[in-house]
Amino acid sequence: MDAQPRRVASPDQRFLGILDTSPFRVAIVYSIVFACGAALLLGIVDFAVSRVVDRSSDDLIDAEVQGLREQVLVLSRSDFIELVEQRSQDQDVRGAVYLMVDPQLRPVAGNVPAWPKADSDDGKWIQFKAAVPFGEEMRDHEMRARRFKLPGGYNMLVGHDVQERQDVKNLMMRGLIAAVALTLLLGLGGGFWMGRRILAQAGAISAVATQIMSGDLSQRLPVRDADDEINTLAREINTMLDRIEQLTLGMRTVLDSAAHDLRTPLNRLQATAEGAMGQVTAGSPERRVLERVTTEVDHMRATLDALLRIALAETGTVAREPVDLSELVASMVELYAPVSEERGIQLESAVASGAQVQGSRQLLAQALANLLDNAIKFTPDGGHIRVLLKSQSAGPPSAGLRPAGPEVIVEDDGPGIPADKRELVLGRRVRLDGARNVPGSGLGLSLVAAVTKLHGARLTLDDAAPGLRVSLQF
Amino acid sequence: MHILIVEDDEVARDYLAKALREVGHTVDVAGDGLAGLHMASSIAIDVAIVDRMLPKLDGLALVQSLRATGRKLPVLILSALGEVDDRITGLRAGGDDYLTKPYHVAELLARLDALARRGESGNAETHTKLKLADLELDRMTRRVERRGKKIELTAREFQLLEFMMRHSGQVVTRTMLLEGVWDYHFDPQTNVIDVHISRLRQAIDKGFDKPLLHTVRGAGYSLREDE
Repeated sequence: MDAQPRRVASPDQRFLGILDTSPFRVAIVYSIVFACGAALLLGIVDFAVSRVVDRSSDDLIDAEVQGLREQVLVLSRSDFIELVEQRSQDQDVRGAVYLMVDPQLRPVAGNVPAWPKADSDDGKWIQFKAAVPFGEEMRDHEMRARRFKLPGGYNMLVGHDVQERQDVKNLMMRGLIAAVALTLLLGLGGGFWMGRRILAQAGAISAVATQIMSGDLSQRLPVRDADDEINTLAREINTMLDRIEQLTLGMRTVLDSAAHDLRTPLNRLQATAEGAMGQVTAGSPERRVLERVTTEVDHMRATLDALLRIALAETGTVAREPVDLSELVASMVELYAPVSEERGIQLESAVASGAQVQGSRQLLAQALANLLDNAIKFTPDGGHIRVLLKSQSAGPPSAGLRPAGPEVIVEDDGPGIPADKRELVLGRRVRLDGARNVPGSGLGLSLVAAVTKLHGARLTLDDAAPGLRVSLQF
Repeated sequence: MHILIVEDDEVARDYLAKALREVGHTVDVAGDGLAGLHMASSIAIDVAIVDRMLPKLDGLALVQSLRATGRKLPVLILSALGEVDDRITGLRAGGDDYLTKPYHVAELLARLDALARRGESGNAETHTKLKLADLELDRMTRRVERRGKKIELTAREFQLLEFMMRHSGQVVTRTMLLEGVWDYHFDPQTNVIDVHISRLRQAIDKGFDKPLLHTVRGAGYSLREDE
């Protein structure tokens, strides 16, 4: 489990998340480039082909026009009509169209049923539609033709059925559009799929990374059976984690043996002193010496415990569990209430319910105890101590993207800590001059700092005007 | 009480054995884990004190093997490690209590006593009514009476009294109270427990000629009927 309630992504958010991934963006850019490229290429091909085909068929028509112009000069009208009819029937030249009309534009010869409405000047190219037989039925075909005048007010039209070419062109255009659409679609689809894959993997990696950061060093990043960049990176990070885990375990072992090597002689000293105490009469000078020895052992033990806890918290290897912070703060206040009351100190508290963090209950309790011990120690008789637990801090989250967690505040109206010394007291074994005559190891705030850091929280010391205000922002 | 000490540190072991014998216990000692396991499984022992770091067989492994054979013998683990979550691993391995070195003999004795009695009166935990002299505590109705007169207690005072009554006649140390009633494992610098006890004392002993809650010098407190 995580310290913060894991934000559950709604389907909408997940969808938008995919649109934000780099593969999806790359896919969009590539699809657009490919689509433009395809469009340009097909456009050029279409242009080139129609130029070539148009030019050659136009040349053919020009040649035919030239031929007929020469013929009309030498042939009689009826022979010319015969010739036109013959050419019209000639199936060798597929798609060739002829029409000869009299001055009233009535067809005289040819294979076009009527003179096109779109009229034009002599010698110009015209484009028109004409019905042509297509099997049983008639179909309107696109024609391209040149007209020219014949003697006696007759007009002649020589052209070509360009419907087929038009069909091919249309087909190409449709193909082109389909190709562009398909490219875009496939590109977006592929990008979406890749984005989702990356997002899933990145999500898994960041989930594991969060666990690792919260102290579970045994976790490893998920690696797929592939040699892509992410997997290579994940493998390398895992190797790095192996090393970090080894180092941390090594540190823990060093700490444990240091603890063992210090606790064992202290234990002997304690046992020896306590054993000897039984041999001497109560109240004798020897007895008093032995009592001082055991008191000093107690102090050394307290200091050793504090140092070891700080060191342990700093290795970050302490086991974590969900901690009911509300219960913890309330019970610590309850634990310290009688003691402060005895000193005439008012211990006030406002504890929000339902605040949970991930961490070590014992270390958090120790940290809170240290803060309360300090507050009671430094608050004059008749003073005030306030303990607050806010489940969610008001205002904008200060630590970047992380949503602000619960905040514990301990305030007193004691002497406080001067602003320039606040950083200093968080370091190890710093006791301000005014505190020399107060018992304590001087490690209290260092332990609070280490525990706060272990829990990913922020510790701030402020002026409570008067007094000290300590805030633990999770 | 028959106590087994499994400890490799000779000086500490001898002093401990001597201290335990002085208060009337029968003591057997073992210097390593294997010998300790052998003795724990073959001799009738009431409580075992097992050091965590032992030659031949580690203290935790010893407790685990003991539990694996179904032996219910109460075990107190002594540790010289860094603590914090070592305690949890120790208790998970099958230890019944956990004490970090250096310790006071008084603390150890109180804990041993509690462990041994827990074995004896295992069903005391399930009794609804606890009784000591004219003091009665009903766990169901959460009602406390002395000589038939109702005593008003806060929830925590009730818990504290319940704990003391379950260990009546025994010495209960401050750390035992902090662990048993508050579930905290640290030594507070201020005398927080003492003030709680003095409030409880006010509530149950004030106005009665025979006090039940006694301070045991250098050790802790004891709830008992004085003869």
